[in-house]
Amino acid sequence: MRLHIVIAEPSVIIRSGLVAVLRRLPSLDIDIAEIADMSQLNIQLKRYRPNILIVNPSNIGTFYFQQLKKDSEFAHLKMIALQCNLMDNTLLKGYDGVISLYDGADILKDKFAHIMRTTDNKEQKQGLSEREKEIVVCVVKGLTNKQIAEELFLSTHTIMTHRRNIAGKLQIHSPSGLTIYAIVNKLVDLDDVKDGIYSEE
Amino acid sequence: MYKIGQYKEYDKLSDLICANYPMLLVVSRFGISLGFGDKSIKEVCDENSVDTNSFLAVVNLLINDEKLEIEEDINLSLPSLIEYLRDSHLYFLEYRLPQIRKKLIEALGDKNDISKVIIRFYDEYVDEVHKHIFYENTTVFSYAETLIEGSSVSGYNIDMFSCQHDEVNGKLAELRDIIIKYYPSQSSNELNSAMFDIFTCADDLASHNAVEDYIFTPIVRRLEQSNKK
Repeated sequence: MRLHIVIAEPSVIIRSGLVAVLRRLPSLDIDIAEIADMSQLNIQLKRYRPNILIVNPSNIGTFYFQQLKKDSEFAHLKMIALQCNLMDNTLLKGYDGVISLYDGADILKDKFAHIMRTTDNKEQKQGLSEREKEIVVCVVKGLTNKQIAEELFLSTHTIMTHRRNIAGKLQIHSPSGLTIYAIVNKLVDLDDVKDGIYSEE
Repeated sequence: MYKIGQYKEYDKLSDLICANYPMLLVVSRFGISLGFGDKSIKEVCDENSVDTNSFLAVVNLLINDEKLEIEEDINLSLPSLIEYLRDSHLYFLEYRLPQIRKKLIEALGDKNDISKVIIRFYDEYVDEVHKHIFYENTTVFSYAETLIEGSSVSGYNIDMFSCQHDEVNGKLAELRDIIIKYYPSQSSNELNSAMFDIFTCADDLASHNAVEDYIFTPIVRRLEQSNKK
């Protein structure tokens, strides 16, 4: 899963340094935006909608931090404190993680891996279950969630959960992407597909 | 304001390109032809009737890793920026995307089921890019052009056009991932070459989007504000 990270830090040296280190970390799929002007923080956060915000607690201030925490728009935003100097522990309270100016690449990698696990603990990288395969076949044939539910005697809600899990496991989000997966894995023939999604156009 | 690593109008254009070859695309999109000898950026721009500030703004945004919105005090020509973006659109639609399609067919063949669905997926992606670009060419750019004339438009503002890039780019990334993870055949020079093109095309698109997000949109937003006054 791709992580959208925003680094809000006025110092260009610290900001660019952090960007360089994060980009160098292996096996992290990230997309980083930078905010230099702290007064723009709110507007920019609404624009980028990141999963993770990295900020020095002294720059953001406790008051604004609490406001961000309360804002339902940012309910899923993880906040990481960037600690550049000694600071009172109460300032760090409420943050989802703390990184220090002196953290090495390995430590950073572990910390991010930990945060990713907590953001996304449902995602399991393993093959599809038999039920999920059945659903893939139905999707590829062009059935709607409601039709799939009727066919398999399940509720549409369950189908939607299954589809979310399938997208999470395979990292494929579109019906035409699933079609490629299904053909490659011989779950369907091209003839089945032709009657399905392609004829809708 | 002087920033480290930024190119200035008196720097040689040939130095810029040798140090940053993707800028060849920028040069040709602004309609500058090669063969400019040792001339400075400003000289070449003047000879080709290109707004030097617009050219420098695009170049300096693209070569810097740090993407920041264009500064308030930089005065550049919005019409020439729009021309650049339109030309860039043409490049993707008429050259880059069809070329990748051709390479994919060469690499995968067009007879077997798997290649058929992959090409189909690619065509759907291209359709989406077409739609997105059509919307920008008609709605967004004409809106900006109306603003340039000093008129205001009710019911539309530039912030309605943002955050739409992600979806389109996501689809190309999905294709790339599907081929890497699930394509069940020996890789070949042809397939590698097609994949390299998909990767660089994604980078080109990201650069193109950066120009829209960090130069075009902020300038239009400022124009909106000044027209209101």
